[in-house]
Amino acid sequence: MATHMPDRGFSHIRKLKSHNVWLICMLLSLSATHTHCTDALDVPQGVVLSADRSTQQLSISWLGGAAITFDLIILRTEFNETVFYETVTAPQENGMHHWTWTSYEPLECTSRSVRLRSRDGQKTSDWSDTRILEGMDHPNKKDSMMYPQDPVVLAGQHTTVCCIVEEGKDFGSIRYNSTVMNVTRLSRRSYVTTKFNQAPSRETGTNVICYSGMKMMLTGTVIFVGYPPLPTGLECETRDLTSVLCQWSPRNTHLYGRRATLNTLNGRDCGKTNQNQRLAECRLPEWAGNWTLVAKNALGQSSLNYSAQLTHRVHPVAPANLTAIPHAWNATLQWDWDYPTYDLLALICQVEITSDGHTKTRTFSGVGLRSVALLDLFPVVEYNVRVSCGAQQHFWKWGTWSKTQVKTGIDVPEAPALWVSRDEDNTGKVMWKPLTQRQSHGEITGYELTLWSPEDKVQHTETVLPGINEHPINLTHMATAGKVIATVKAKNAAGVSPPASVVIPQLLSDVEPPTVSRVVGADGGFSLSWASDANASNGYVVEWRDASCLHRCPVSWTQVGAGTTNVSIAPDTLQAGVLYSISLYSCSPHASALLQRWEGYMQELVPLRSVPNLMTNQDNSDIQLTWREIRLADRRGYLLGYRVYLNMGPQLKLIAKLSDPLSRSYTVKNLPVSSYKFTVKAYTSAGEDSGSTTSITMESYTDWLLLEMLVSLGTMTCFLFLVFFICYKKRKWVKKAFYPDIPEPKVTGDWSRTQGPLDVKPHANSMVHIVEESGWDSSKEKLVVIPEEDEDEEQGVRDEPVDTDEPMTIRYYNQVVDERPIRPRYPDSSESSSSSLDSARTDVTYTGIQTSGSSLNFQAEPPFPHDGQQPPPPQGDFPVALAGGAGGYRPQVQPAAPGQDPGQAAPPQSFPEPLPAKEGSFGCYQPQCSWQMDSPGEGDEGSIEAPSMGSPTSVASTQFLLPREEEERSEGEGSSSATTWLHNLLSSTKS
Amino acid sequence: MAEQDGAADAVLDEPAPRRSGTGRAVALARLLHQECGHLLQLYRERESFLDDHTPEGGRIVSLSPDTLGDDPGVEERVGLLHAALRQCLGLLHCLTLREVEEEMGELEGEYEAMRKNVRSRLEHLLLSTRVLLPQPGEAEVTPDNPCTEEVDGEMGSFALKMWTYRVLLELLHWADHASLTLHVIHTQSQETEEV
Repeated sequence: MATHMPDRGFSHIRKLKSHNVWLICMLLSLSATHTHCTDALDVPQGVVLSADRSTQQLSISWLGGAAITFDLIILRTEFNETVFYETVTAPQENGMHHWTWTSYEPLECTSRSVRLRSRDGQKTSDWSDTRILEGMDHPNKKDSMMYPQDPVVLAGQHTTVCCIVEEGKDFGSIRYNSTVMNVTRLSRRSYVTTKFNQAPSRETGTNVICYSGMKMMLTGTVIFVGYPPLPTGLECETRDLTSVLCQWSPRNTHLYGRRATLNTLNGRDCGKTNQNQRLAECRLPEWAGNWTLVAKNALGQSSLNYSAQLTHRVHPVAPANLTAIPHAWNATLQWDWDYPTYDLLALICQVEITSDGHTKTRTFSGVGLRSVALLDLFPVVEYNVRVSCGAQQHFWKWGTWSKTQVKTGIDVPEAPALWVSRDEDNTGKVMWKPLTQRQSHGEITGYELTLWSPEDKVQHTETVLPGINEHPINLTHMATAGKVIATVKAKNAAGVSPPASVVIPQLLSDVEPPTVSRVVGADGGFSLSWASDANASNGYVVEWRDASCLHRCPVSWTQVGAGTTNVSIAPDTLQAGVLYSISLYSCSPHASALLQRWEGYMQELVPLRSVPNLMTNQDNSDIQLTWREIRLADRRGYLLGYRVYLNMGPQLKLIAKLSDPLSRSYTVKNLPVSSYKFTVKAYTSAGEDSGSTTSITMESYTDWLLLEMLVSLGTMTCFLFLVFFICYKKRKWVKKAFYPDIPEPKVTGDWSRTQGPLDVKPHANSMVHIVEESGWDSSKEKLVVIPEEDEDEEQGVRDEPVDTDEPMTIRYYNQVVDERPIRPRYPDSSESSSSSLDSARTDVTYTGIQTSGSSLNFQAEPPFPHDGQQPPPPQGDFPVALAGGAGGYRPQVQPAAPGQDPGQAAPPQSFPEPLPAKEGSFGCYQPQCSWQMDSPGEGDEGSIEAPSMGSPTSVASTQFLLPREEEERSEGEGSSSATTWLHNLLSSTKS
Repeated sequence: MAEQDGAADAVLDEPAPRRSGTGRAVALARLLHQECGHLLQLYRERESFLDDHTPEGGRIVSLSPDTLGDDPGVEERVGLLHAALRQCLGLLHCLTLREVEEEMGELEGEYEAMRKNVRSRLEHLLLSTRVLLPQPGEAEVTPDNPCTEEVDGEMGSFALKMWTYRVLLELLHWADHASLTLHVIHTQSQETEEV
């Protein structure tokens, strides 16, 4: 039978379509020519179509006469599309010719038409009648369908599915899972699509759904994509020494249920492989020696072979009824075997014992082994035990584990490790190490402590509760001269432990103290070694404690065997920064002797506290710093010295480094007088502490001050003497220069009177009359102010206000020497002053217009230019008198500049120095006239209206002008006395 | 839903003397309805193409309207409900067989666990409704479906999925119907007792 594989590509179909008409025409013309030229070939008759829809194959059989080659054409009936047209060779078999064609799409998708004709070279027969294989899209099948249904496909391959739309509905799309596929229309109702490179399906397959144009689900199919079976690792063994169990690893074919892999072992059904199984297995009742496994599914099959002897493949089962018979130090394990065939089997068994996380394995062997003894157990310990066995000969693998628990029995405890620590007096404490579970052999119910003095035959016994591991003792009344032995026994329910004894050592004060060596901590602990001692028959005890602790101190200790001369003290019993005192004792039945002592820090730290009582003491320019010793507990390391810092703001300046840890003071020398802050820090190998700080403010040095004062006084004294000497030597020149002779005045009438100053209280009317009018009186344009003081003095007045609080009086001197006629005096009034000012020749001059502070302030105003410009506004503290304009001293106001509007208030101006006053002034002396306030109340600075101006007085005097009263006052009485003295001296010279 | 669930649990937790037969049946029906909804949701998650699908065709479990008069009594209504639930149990039984055959039931997922749950709850509901019948001894609680139509091996996987979906919808419908019917009967019985 001839078979032709179909054209698998739609492209070829399209190509056929394009050449369809041309080919048919050619064939028909050739056929017609041939028919007319030669004998006619038989037309194929009785064409029968047979479809295998599962394989999508169409079998064509026909009666074709003698021809063996035929032209075969297959078309899609509805659209008349050629899908196959070839000349095929189909020899006759059983009188029929056969040809099988495989369709690209399922045969149900659409109807196909088949025609044949015989061919002999170029000769062809007529075409046979058309035979049609009806598809499921035939009009008489109206429902929606999808083909193929439930195909099983190899992963990676492609599948072509078609959707036949229900009559009267529109096609929408085909979705492969959720993917919209590209489709090709095969017929009016049939659409086809192909999914390439398919991934394995999930358990329930891959859904392919056909939707209508309204997105309504029409129909669908499920594709199962997977792999053919491929089992690996086939092994067969026996567990009962009779039957066989074969196991293998199945392949995940992604096919489940009725599509799952079917396995057979030596032809016997082993069921389907559950994909959830990691190992598939199959049991056969008897050992065969050779096995063949065949695994098969819809995508293919695979086979595996295995050969072995039974005795070489023994995998024992788990021991049954595993039990334990425990004792204190051992236990017996027993078990059974489920199969009697094991009785003759040489077995090797492993017993795994686990306790407290530690596991030990022991092996035992024997024929039909079913009991073993476990030795080297500990009392009252719970063990987890499990047993597994294998064939001793031709070992294949360990069998299944069987497990149980064993708890051993109780026994008397071991003797505890014992030591006695002595305090400074006759007290101490007996200490023993708590017994571990391995040592106690059961729950400890208590301890029995005995103190025994062999010499005095005194024994003292006490019972100590469990959980207590030390007991205080007082040896005051026991064997003050001889030795005392301490004995401790531990008790549990099984009995009393052997005694642990130690001879109580002597006090440290009673023995010659050995040299204390310094030991350095290493790796967080101490490593100690010593020379072997012949008396240490019971070994050694190393005891350590905090060296800074004085009374009832906690003590740690450890026992060392007699043959050992070194020990490491673990860091878990030590603390950093603590000085430990370590003692080594040798122990014998007769004595416990102190052999050696050490001290050291496991780890040094910086001092916990800084130096206490840091004090400062000034010694002239030096400052001495003193402090006290840091407590031992606070040092936390060996002190290496101190560092002295000078605090300079936030920073510290190192000024001294004292490497002697015994230093307690330091002197900072030659410091200038100031405030200082010092910090002293102690340091160890770990560093320095936070430091103590003190401050000091230095006081001036007393002797230097006295010396400076004496030198100053001496210098001044010498200077004064020098001046006095020069003045004395040049007294004539001085008199001539400063005090020339003045002719006496000629006085008419009786002017004799007692010489001396005449103090006149100024009359109220002598005050400057305050003009109330705001207008300017042009008649007073000539009024000028006669200053009473020279320029320097006036300047001084301007610079600083005059204290007008002093009572002021006008002092007239009757020792007038001026020869000019004395004009009659009028009572002080502004008018009289005005009239005097109006005269062409002025005989009366203001010699002492004493002004109040406010008036002086008025004068202190800086001069303004006389260009008619307005002055700037007064300053904040400017005198009030200036602001009022009309309230000032009108007569003292400088006339306005020519051309200025008389009606306009004249701006305040400075007061020019009148010439007459200048001519009559004497240096820094003021006229002798002055006046004082009648009472302090009238001279109040705050009162503008206070009388502050003196009345005019005569200046026709050649008396020596006295210096200013202010200066006199400032120089004090001494100065005044000196002036008087100088005056007298000059007077005497004159006379 | 949670509130309803809590109420059902409260009824089921009541001591037997205080709990009436209808009350227990109502609670069971509500639980069944809730679990059927969950089972349907799980199946939709597995077969996502069913999300928006509404199957065509009528009810799988149908009761002849002739069996009900104009005003059926309590016994008639309970009897019909009991019969419908038996058919539902039969459908569920067939569904399980088909899925196990397809090895879908061999899986041990949440869907399979809930399917077992629903079956157990439905059996309990059948037992509870049977005691409400006038002659309880004659009622069966076994599945009323020979599975002839579904397990003849001709149904494709896609058709099986569609059928499974219809069965689950049917279970949900009848669980809801049972819940409502039993609630009405329970309310009426309580009113009768009060009178």
